[in-house]
Amino acid sequence: MSTYTGTGILTRQALRRDRLIAPIWIVLLALFVYVSAAAVPALYKTTAERVQAAQAINSNPAIVALYGPILDVHSIGELAMTKATVLYAIFVAILMVILVRRHTRVEEESGRLELIAGTAVGRNAPMFSAIVEGAVVSLVLGLLAALGAIGGALPTAGSLAFGATWVGIGLVSTGLALVSCQLAASARTCAAIAAGAIAVLFVVRAIGDISAQWLSWLSPFGWNTRFRAWSEPRWWMLALYLGSFVLLVAVAQLLRSRRDLGSGMVAARPGRATGSPRLGDAISLAVRVNQGAIGVWSFAFAALGIIFGAIAPGVSNLLDSPDAEQIIARLGGPGAMADTLITAVLSLVAIIVVCFAISVIAHSGGDEADGRTEEVLATATSRSRWFAATTLVAFGGVLWLLLVAGFFLWIGVGAAGAPAGSHTGRIVPAALVYTPAAWLVIAVAAALFALRRSWAVIGWILPALCLVISLVGELLDLPDWFVRISPYAHVPQLPAAAMNWTPLLVMTGIALVVTAFGWWRFARRDIG
Amino acid sequence: MERPIAAIGDVTHQAIPDLHKCVKSANVSDVTTEHVIDVRGLVKNFGRFRALDGLDLSVTAGEVHGFLGPNGAGKSTTIRVLLGLLRTDGGSARVFGLDPWREAVPIHRRLAYVPGDVAIWPNLSGGETIDLLIRMRDGDPKSSRREELIERFDLDPTKKGRAYSKGNRQKVALVAAFATEPDLLVLDEPTSGLDPLMEQVFNECLGEHKARGATVLLSSHILSEVERLADRVTIIRAGQAVESGTLESLRRLRRSKITAVVDGQVPDLMADGVHDLDVDGQKITCTVDPDALPIVLTSLTAAGIQSLTSAPPSLEELFLDAYRQDATTPELVDEARR
Repeated sequence: MSTYTGTGILTRQALRRDRLIAPIWIVLLALFVYVSAAAVPALYKTTAERVQAAQAINSNPAIVALYGPILDVHSIGELAMTKATVLYAIFVAILMVILVRRHTRVEEESGRLELIAGTAVGRNAPMFSAIVEGAVVSLVLGLLAALGAIGGALPTAGSLAFGATWVGIGLVSTGLALVSCQLAASARTCAAIAAGAIAVLFVVRAIGDISAQWLSWLSPFGWNTRFRAWSEPRWWMLALYLGSFVLLVAVAQLLRSRRDLGSGMVAARPGRATGSPRLGDAISLAVRVNQGAIGVWSFAFAALGIIFGAIAPGVSNLLDSPDAEQIIARLGGPGAMADTLITAVLSLVAIIVVCFAISVIAHSGGDEADGRTEEVLATATSRSRWFAATTLVAFGGVLWLLLVAGFFLWIGVGAAGAPAGSHTGRIVPAALVYTPAAWLVIAVAAALFALRRSWAVIGWILPALCLVISLVGELLDLPDWFVRISPYAHVPQLPAAAMNWTPLLVMTGIALVVTAFGWWRFARRDIG
Repeated sequence: MERPIAAIGDVTHQAIPDLHKCVKSANVSDVTTEHVIDVRGLVKNFGRFRALDGLDLSVTAGEVHGFLGPNGAGKSTTIRVLLGLLRTDGGSARVFGLDPWREAVPIHRRLAYVPGDVAIWPNLSGGETIDLLIRMRDGDPKSSRREELIERFDLDPTKKGRAYSKGNRQKVALVAAFATEPDLLVLDEPTSGLDPLMEQVFNECLGEHKARGATVLLSSHILSEVERLADRVTIIRAGQAVESGTLESLRRLRRSKITAVVDGQVPDLMADGVHDLDVDGQKITCTVDPDALPIVLTSLTAAGIQSLTSAPPSLEELFLDAYRQDATTPELVDEARR
C-alpha cells in the first residue's frame, strides 16, 4: 500500500462536502468578472476616455496601492479587470485557505482525521487530497473567470491569460494554506497565519507598486499585474506560480513528516493551574475566547491604517505630468484625492470588519454544536446573558476595530503631513460613522443564529452580499433602490462629505430591534 | 463497555451495605419525601420524530437514581429538558419544584451537570475551565474542594483543553461538579472515559456526595456501577419509562434462576410460570416466575433436595429483558409490573 492510497476517495469526499461553498464562491467571482467586463463599453464611450481613466488610475498612488497599476493604458481588458487582477484575487486566495484548512487542520483538530488514518488510507493521502482539491477548484475557477471575461466581450487570448493568473493565485494560496495548517495545533490560529501571510503579500505588492518595483516581483499578487495578460502575456511566469506551489507543498510535507498528529510545530505551553478571578461569567469568557482574534485583527487594521494613511497625502508629490495634474485638479485637488482614498479604504475596512463579528457568532454556534454552550447554560448563566455576551463582543469588537483603523489612518496621514484642502482631521469620525451599518449586518447574522444554530454560518454570506450589491449596482448602473439595500449605501461619506445623523440613528435603531428579536428568539429555542 | 474490574475494592464494601440501607429507607419515604425531580407524561418531538413519549421519572431527595436505557432511548433528551435546554411538547417537568424552562438559573445554582461527551475550550487550561465553571455556578474556587479533587483524580490542571484525552476532559467536568457540593448531580454516563482506578475515585466521591444527603441522577450504561450505587432505577425505552423502582422491587417481578439436585425421582415441573426447564440426570435448572416459586419449591422439597441455588435476576438481565420487549407492546410490561 502506497502512502497515497485513498487519495481518490478522500478527494471525492472533500469535493462533496464543498459542493455548496466552492460553487457559490466560484460563480460569484466569475459573475463579477463578467459584469466588470460587460460594463466597460457603457462606462467609457471612446478609446480616449478609457486611456484617460487608466491614466487617472495610474496617477493615483492610493488606487494603485489597492488595485495595482495599469501597465498598458490602451488595453480595454486591463482597465475592465482593474479590481479583479489584484484586489479580487484576494477572494480567490481566501477561498483556497477556507477549503484547504477545512480538509486538513480542522479535520485533525476534530479528531476525524484520526478516524480516517485508522482506515486503509495512506499517510500522505489526506494532505494530497487537499492539494488535488485546491488544484481542481483553482482550475475551474480560472476557467470560469476566463469564460466570464470572454462572455463580457473581452479578447479571448487575454481572457485565458487572465484566468491563468487566477489559477496561479489559487495554487500558491493552496500551498500557503497547507504550510500554515502545519504550524499551529489550533485551526483558528492556522487561519490567522494564512490570512496574515496573504495580507503581507498584498501589502508588499502595494508598496512595490507605488515605490520600489522589485518588491512587487516578490508577491504573487504583483505577478498578476506583471503577467501582462491583456497585451503580451508572459507565459513563462506560470513557472513562478507553479514553482512556488511545488515549493510550498514540499515544505508542508516536510513539516507534516516532522510532527505528530494533532500537534503544531511549537510545543503547547502549559497554561495556568487556576483561573483568573476575572474569568467567571459569560462576558469575560466570550472576551477570553476571542481575544487572540481581536489582537490579530487589531494589528492588521493598525498596519493597514498606517500604510494607507502614509500613502494618502503623497498623491500630489508623486505627480509631475501635466495630464495627471489636470486630472487631479478636476477631482478637486490633492486634498480631495486624499479624502477620496480615505473614504475608499474605510468603506472596505467597514465591510471586512464585519467578518470578525461573524467569526464571533460562528464561534458561538460551534460552542453550541460541540456542547460547551450546554455546559455553560447548566450553570447559573441564563440564555440572555449567553446571547448578550456573544453579541456584545461582536458589536463592541467591531466598534473597537473601526476605531483602531481610523486612529492609525489618522496617525499615518499625520506622519506624512496632511495635504492642503483635505479633511484628514476627521478620519476617526469617518471610520466610526460606519458602525451603525456594520452593526445592522451583524444584528441580522445574530438573529439568524438565534433562529437556528446551524444558520450561524449563513452570516458569512452577508458581508459578501453587501459588497456584491454595491459593486454590481455601480457597474451595471442599476437603480438607486437596489444599491440602497445594502446598509453601507446610507453611510455619509466622511471626511469630505457632511455628517448626516438621520441614517445612522435609523440604522442603529433597526440593528437594536433586530438584535432584540434575536435575543427573544434565542431564549425560546432548543439548545444543541 | 468493559466491566469495572477494580471495582471490587473498598468501595464495594462501603457501598453495598449503604445501598441496602437506603433501598429500604427509600421504600418507606417514597411517599413523604420531596421529589427533587418530578417528570410526568413528558413529550418531546424533534420534527416528526418523537424522542420522549409520555415519560415519567421521579427522583426523591437523597437518593442515587439510576437512569438506564439503550442508545437513543431518550436519556440525554430527558436530561436536557431537566436542564431547561429543550422546550417540551407536553407533560410536565419539575426540578426542586421549579419549572426548568422558566427558572433555569435558580435551579442551576443548586445542581451540577456532567455531560457524557465533555467538550471544553481548547485554549483554556483545565484549571481555568474548572474555576470558570465553579464561578459560573456562583461558587468560589478557593473555598471549594477543587485542589483536593484535582489530586484525587490525578489531573494535570495546567494542560490546555485541546491536549486532554476524553477521560481527562471528563475529570475536568467531574472536579468542577463535585467541588461545590451541589444539592443535585446530573451525570450523563460520567465514567465512560475513565480508567478503573479513576472509576473507583468517582465511586468514592459519589458516596461522599450521597452521605451529605444530596441527590444524583445517574445515566449510565455500566450496569454493575448502577447496581452498586443506585437506590432506585428507571429503565426507559423509546421515550417511555418501562421499569421504575428499587432494584429489589424490580427483581421481585422477575424470574429467578433455580438450580437444584434432588435425591428422589425428578418431579414434573412443567407448569404455568416455569420456563427454560432442563433436566440432566438428577440436576434440574429452570427459571421461575415469582408466583410459581412456592409450587416449584414444594415439588422440589417433596423430591428431596440435595442442593439448591436460587439466583435473582441481575440488573443486566432486567435491563436486557426490558430491551427485548417488543417496542409496540409496552402495556405488557405494565401488566407484568402490576
